[in-house]
Amino acid sequence: MLKTTLHIVILESSKIIFEGLYSILYQSDIYCRVYRAENIDELSDILKTEKINIIIANPVHFVNRDKEINKIKKEFPSLSIVGIDFGVMHKAVIETDASFTLYDTPEHILHLISRMDNRNKSISGNSDDSDNLTKRELEVLTCIVNGKLNKEIAEELNISIHTVVRHRKNITTKTGIRSQSGLTIYAISKKIVEIEDIEI
Amino acid sequence: MHHFTATKMSPSMKMADQIDANPRLLLMLQHFNIDFRVSDLTVSQLCKQYEISEALFVDIANLYNGFGAKKNHTYTKKDLLQVIDFLKNSHHYYRSDMYPQINSYIQLLQKNHPEREFKLLNRFFNEYFTEVLEHLDYEDNVAFPYFIKLLKNRSEESVPEQFSSTEYSEHHTDIELKLHDLKNLLLKYVNIEGDLDLRRKLFFALYELEYDLFVHSLIEESILIPSGANIEKKENA
Repeated sequence: MLKTTLHIVILESSKIIFEGLYSILYQSDIYCRVYRAENIDELSDILKTEKINIIIANPVHFVNRDKEINKIKKEFPSLSIVGIDFGVMHKAVIETDASFTLYDTPEHILHLISRMDNRNKSISGNSDDSDNLTKRELEVLTCIVNGKLNKEIAEELNISIHTVVRHRKNITTKTGIRSQSGLTIYAISKKIVEIEDIEI
Repeated sequence: MHHFTATKMSPSMKMADQIDANPRLLLMLQHFNIDFRVSDLTVSQLCKQYEISEALFVDIANLYNGFGAKKNHTYTKKDLLQVIDFLKNSHHYYRSDMYPQINSYIQLLQKNHPEREFKLLNRFFNEYFTEVLEHLDYEDNVAFPYFIKLLKNRSEESVPEQFSSTEYSEHHTDIELKLHDLKNLLLKYVNIEGDLDLRRKLFFALYELEYDLFVHSLIEESILIPSGANIEKKENA
């Protein structure tokens, strides 16, 4: 509920298969929101409005739609595509990042999906879940701990408020801590600031 | 050792077996004001005895069993009043059982670990607790009375104009986030050694609370708010 939510589109016209995957995903501990697309056009519409991480697709929908697929891949480079392998196609219609069959165990499927999740993270620059903060993020963190507002931090570090917000977001992603008082405890535990500097 | 094997509940199942499969259902029974000695009753018989809507009981039980919310389920006004009682009872559990318990563990830990770092953690918890109380008070004093008025059809008693179901869902802040911070700080960062008994109890309490809060907001978001919004729509039509 608190990790970043994965946005997943299931591109599949069979309601039975959709519902099956949907319930496997929702009963797992992957935090996700699932969308349904019955064809490529519906998929394109969803991609326009939602920030999608993963597409789980019946590859039959890709047949003779190379142009659209390539456009989607180009436009959303961090998107992962997982194919459902029905065992009926002789060669893969398009290159998928992973695939599973309908007879695979839910655990196997979930493992594949969470691997895609990690892949997404490495593309967006956070190589892993470690909390290695950059020098700039440490400076921003110190300011936050000292109770400074975004505007004050921006002035002190000579950066835009927008950049401050981005740093704050990264700090939260890396540490898993959101609140100011939580970050203070984090900074002290990690000896980023001296405890004597903090008023208790 | 207990192995967690919750299955989807249906009205013909024995309640005792259900509790055995998922002991968290005890908490649900308590929120419904149902005694734990469920004898040999089926879910259906138990609901009849306590005059609780069977459909509602099963839906909430399945939320506790880890199944997602049912879409487009319609509940009667009587059901929804029972939902509000249920939520009020869970507030009581947070206020007078869970938070004092967690607080006592933190106080004891602080006694054994007088480092200033822990003092900060204590302050963090206190701030968080104050926020939780504010939120619970808001629900008890503003949100629930609004829903009750709406459900009892007393439109002549003027409903506070600044309130509506959708606004409530916006106002519905995530208490879960700070709880998550607290857990993360204890699991990953705060330098503390030993005292495993006490720390384990603290963790178990935090996880128990987290789970109930999670189901609590699911009930609000998937049952109470949509149903309230529906009634508003009908009455404004």
